Amino acid sequence: MSMLGAVERQQVAEIAQEVFAAMVDRAPGLLRSAPVGPSAVADPLYAWVDLGTVPASRLLLTTDADTARALTRALLAMGEAQPVSEDDVADAFGEIANVLGGNIKALLPEHVGLTLPEVSRARPSGQAADACGEALFAWRGRPLVISLYTI
Amino acid sequence: MRALVIDDSATMRHIVADILQELGFDTCQATNGQEGLDLLESGQRFDLACIDWNMPVMDGLEFVAAVRARRQWPDLTLMMVTTEGERGQVVRALAAGAHEYVIKPFTADALASKLVLLGLLRGQERI
Repeated sequence: MSMLGAVERQQVAEIAQEVFAAMVDRAPGLLRSAPVGPSAVADPLYAWVDLGTVPASRLLLTTDADTARALTRALLAMGEAQPVSEDDVADAFGEIANVLGGNIKALLPEHVGLTLPEVSRARPSGQAADACGEALFAWRGRPLVISLYTI
Repeated sequence: MRALVIDDSATMRHIVADILQELGFDTCQATNGQEGLDLLESGQRFDLACIDWNMPVMDGLEFVAAVRARRQWPDLTLMMVTTEGERGQVVRALAAGAHEYVIKPFTADALASKLVLLGLLRGQERI
């Protein structure tokens, strides 16, 4: 059984809500579980970190590019009309994946490493051989998906 | 008070520096431990360093160990600000010479509380 078996979907959801309340929104309740799936994410942007489990596992964060820009503005406490660069978006979206991954890693029964975050418009290579969970959210009504799987 | 914020994420540097500036700190930023060490060795003086753990070039734990090994900055307070939340990692960082440990995500108030504990901030200065 994968080490990821120790992580329950509800724990992923609680971590995500804590991360968004503390870091993104500075207020609770704006990230909610929602019945939207990856197919609902148009123009997707992906951010991920890999965990040094055996076998290795990955936390993948998916949203649409416009939502990633909105997340960046929220993280940086910018106004809605302020422009953000692609570098800003990649850094901010990657940092959210990093913080989520680090907190999920802390749930595992033993210490494992965590890679630096990567961000791409292309879904990362590697098969989701053992999907351990997919948590679907709406952040301010926008789609956000957290996937956790072995690679 | 002067603070050095060391993190490879520009977003996180921005967030931490903003909080520290609200609390009255002058801030300077570095993108990894080696850059931070270079700033210290250039003669810049800091009261506080907020240090991420996972960074390229030189990670936060290596930075803490390097600062403590040199003994040139005994008054520099070292605070890890990181996603590495396992108890064993906290113990490693404190054993290497870090004074405090903040796990991401954190609130401005949580960071201010740590600074009060460290004696770098009076209670009434909290956000």
